[in-house]
Amino acid sequence: MTTPLQFEQQYEREWAELEHALEQIRRHRISKGAEAEVHGERVAALYRRACEHLAIARARAYPAFLLDRLEQLTATAHQAIYHRPEFGVAALSRLALVEFPHRVRENAAYVWTAAAVFLLPAVVVGCLVYSRPELILSVVSAETAVSFDEMYARGAESIGRRRTADTDWMMFGFYIRNNVGIAFQCFAAGLFAGVGSLFFLAANGAFGGAVAGYLTARGLSSTFYSFVVTHSAFELTAIILAGAAGLRIGHALLAPGRRRRLQSLVDAAREMSVIVYGVTAMLFIAAAVEAFWSSAGWLPAAVKYSVAAVCWASVLGYFTFQGRRAS
Amino acid sequence: MQPLDTVVTAETPEGILLELRPAGLSARFYAFLLDWLLRLMILYLLSTFLVFLRGLGAGLLLIVFFALEWFYPVAFELRRAGATPGKQVFGLKVVMDNGLPITPAASFTRNLLRTADFLPFGYGFAILCLLLRRDCKRLGDLAAATVVVHESRVSRRIALSEIAPVIPARPLAPVDQAAVIALAARAPTLTAERLDELAALAASVSGDHGRAGTDVTRRVLGVAQWLLGRRT
Repeated sequence: MTTPLQFEQQYEREWAELEHALEQIRRHRISKGAEAEVHGERVAALYRRACEHLAIARARAYPAFLLDRLEQLTATAHQAIYHRPEFGVAALSRLALVEFPHRVRENAAYVWTAAAVFLLPAVVVGCLVYSRPELILSVVSAETAVSFDEMYARGAESIGRRRTADTDWMMFGFYIRNNVGIAFQCFAAGLFAGVGSLFFLAANGAFGGAVAGYLTARGLSSTFYSFVVTHSAFELTAIILAGAAGLRIGHALLAPGRRRRLQSLVDAAREMSVIVYGVTAMLFIAAAVEAFWSSAGWLPAAVKYSVAAVCWASVLGYFTFQGRRAS
Repeated sequence: MQPLDTVVTAETPEGILLELRPAGLSARFYAFLLDWLLRLMILYLLSTFLVFLRGLGAGLLLIVFFALEWFYPVAFELRRAGATPGKQVFGLKVVMDNGLPITPAASFTRNLLRTADFLPFGYGFAILCLLLRRDCKRLGDLAAATVVVHESRVSRRIALSEIAPVIPARPLAPVDQAAVIALAARAPTLTAERLDELAALAASVSGDHGRAGTDVTRRVLGVAQWLLGRRT
């Protein structure tokens, strides 16, 4: 039998050549300028040879230093050869123009379920609080209720804030952190068989409904609705979509079909990542609109409602029609 | 025989098994702690400057806070190192469980699902899941099909070339050969007494069964040299 040292001596040149080629590829990927002088065919052939050598070395129980070197060599080559670039402007625009709306349509059942779970508690709690405004106290503390009154008081310079000192930029930061957090929570909690998503959707729906019902009962509906109507086109839709994605992975766990449960989860999560990308982008838009447009007190309500109508129409139109032909 | 190790294997299309060594709770905890401190430091440094910008500064700070909270790990995992600075310090790396570099979708998924891992408190589910599984995955890793592994390190070559090769006293099966050679590889890291003890266990390979001592050790290591292929 070939001894380890003979084995190493015999194939040393091939391994060194492969190592050199991999180093070139690595440098090339870091700085795009440097032209890699590597022939793909040769690298693939060397890689297959190294795989054979590793199999032989393992079967003959060769010492660790040989096995480790071959393992590292094959692992690096494997990564270099099967490396899949997923970035780029083309991939991103395809995501926005085709994949995101298409994925949403594909999962329409989940989206409608999530919408129902979000909107039903909102309407029910909203009506309850409207008929008996004191019920708001079972949702928030008295102090917070008073601050709602302040935020949406008529004639305020900027709506939706407690102090006029809070600037648009500060609120932009706050909305991003808060809203994206809620949406991600609705998605991630789906991992618990979907129950978590249902809970967070219903809880956020009920909270929103309570605030709306309370402010309507207080006679502040004109400022409140003109404030929320524009950005909610992006924000509510995004939260519902995040919840729908959570329901999808929860369902994949509960009913894996003919796949193994874990595999079913992995596949669902990979599919849903497209929706989560889209949701994140929508929430950024929502936060910008909320901070810089919705809060402007000097804009006439009619302008706000017309812009809101355009926003709602384009969001719904985007999910209904965008990318139908391409997909 | 079930090896006493936590190695998980991933098969490549070429039919070889890549060995991944999943990182356990303590290594990942230290890495997390370091990342956490780093994030805290960034926020602290930024806040001292951004205070001067008033509202704009507060807004920017909140955005940075948001970005650090959700995208700090994603940004680093998608770089070449495939790990956050904390993980890099402890020699850890995130890869797909088929041995390939992590994809953006997977990195996004595993880091958003942190929210689920965090429940019920203090990363409770993550720790439970990590301890129960052989491949040490948390919930986010399960859904994203990723695994946190120790970076492989190359074992040392066998030195001791001043020892003359000794012909084995009996035929040795491949596993026995590997054991003797592994002993020789570890020799520089052991104390002389411990090396003698271990060599005594393997003394039958050089025909010194039942004996122990420095000479026996030299002969056992000599057998290792012979098995490696040295003849003179």
